[in-house]
Amino acid sequence: MKLLLPSLRSGASSNAAALALAAAAMLVPANVLPVLDTRVSGVSRTDTIFSGIVELWRQGLWAIALIVFLASMLIPALKLAGLGWLLLATRPGARPDARRLTRVYLALDFIGRWSMLDVFLVGFLAGLVRFGALTTVEPRSGIAAFAAAVVLTVLATKVFDPRVLWRTPEPPGAAPVPS
Amino acid sequence: MTSGTPVPTCRICGCEYRPVALAPGERAHCLRCDTVLAHGSRLGPDAGLAFTVAGLLLAAPAALLPFITAGKLGDTQTGRVFTGVGGLWRNGMHLLAVWVLLCGTVVPAALLTVLAGLLLPARFGRAPFQPRLLLRAARALSDWAMPEVQVLAVLVALMKLGNLVDLTIGPGFWFYCAATFACLFAWRSFEFGSAAGISGLARSRPSPP
Repeated sequence: MKLLLPSLRSGASSNAAALALAAAAMLVPANVLPVLDTRVSGVSRTDTIFSGIVELWRQGLWAIALIVFLASMLIPALKLAGLGWLLLATRPGARPDARRLTRVYLALDFIGRWSMLDVFLVGFLAGLVRFGALTTVEPRSGIAAFAAAVVLTVLATKVFDPRVLWRTPEPPGAAPVPS
Repeated sequence: MTSGTPVPTCRICGCEYRPVALAPGERAHCLRCDTVLAHGSRLGPDAGLAFTVAGLLLAAPAALLPFITAGKLGDTQTGRVFTGVGGLWRNGMHLLAVWVLLCGTVVPAALLTVLAGLLLPARFGRAPFQPRLLLRAARALSDWAMPEVQVLAVLVALMKLGNLVDLTIGPGFWFYCAATFACLFAWRSFEFGSAAGISGLARSRPSPP
């Protein structure tokens, strides 16, 4: 076994922090602005991510409501919380629990893409449901903000260098003394 | 994983290992961080290539044949793999439409093409063209290939629209599902199997004088 420790990507953690903060900022308009306009037999409604989930639940489509809740609300929140945990645990001077944080990193890496579900869903519904002026589905600006948040969280996970978790802390006094 | 193939550097902690032969079903874990580095394929050493070729062959009918036909009061709409892209584009969300096009179709197809570029020459005992570049491209593309998410989105759309319109699932959707699974298995077989061999090949190329 050979350890390759010196080639950590410089600035990876601060880049990941910046991307995670940008993603958190984008999640605000993503959840406040409408994502979808639905017109069924002339009756219109506008939904945000949350109101869309509530509507699915109210219609008895619990499984879909749960899937959309997981992909669009829980996973983005977990990703940001997980990234925050990783970044705080690897700040200079900290002694990270490397094994536990590696599991967190691998989980974030796996779940990241599933948040794109809502973006694919809104696009597909908008493309398919076009029955004259009476029954249509149209995307709204919230979905663009949501997609931006998803891309930023995936980028933040990719930019984070997990080798920093396994960096052996230098013993006290080992750091070079500036002259 | 084929016998004698070198195990790759651990992507999590940076440890590098000597070559090891793995039996089918056997896994190699990093001694330091316990991440799975490689596994012995139960389907043989050519599984990655077989899934890659299958994925490429399935991609054409998946792109051309109808996914879903939706009908309401005598009016019918046919959805295809690019329907979501069209829906976003028509509503002025051009950048998002391009993004959906990339993640749902272009990047998975590009990933399969790159894998074919790496695995086909290796299968016939030849060095792939620019293996280092292709390896980096494959790793970058794998991060953004999301066909499985699009499959789930279409299934959710089907359940959501069930009460609203009459739906018929077309052959394109089944081809897309099959191509998606082929793409996922091809990448997984490559990442935990052949990547190390190709990487070793790339490293062992003599440097120019």
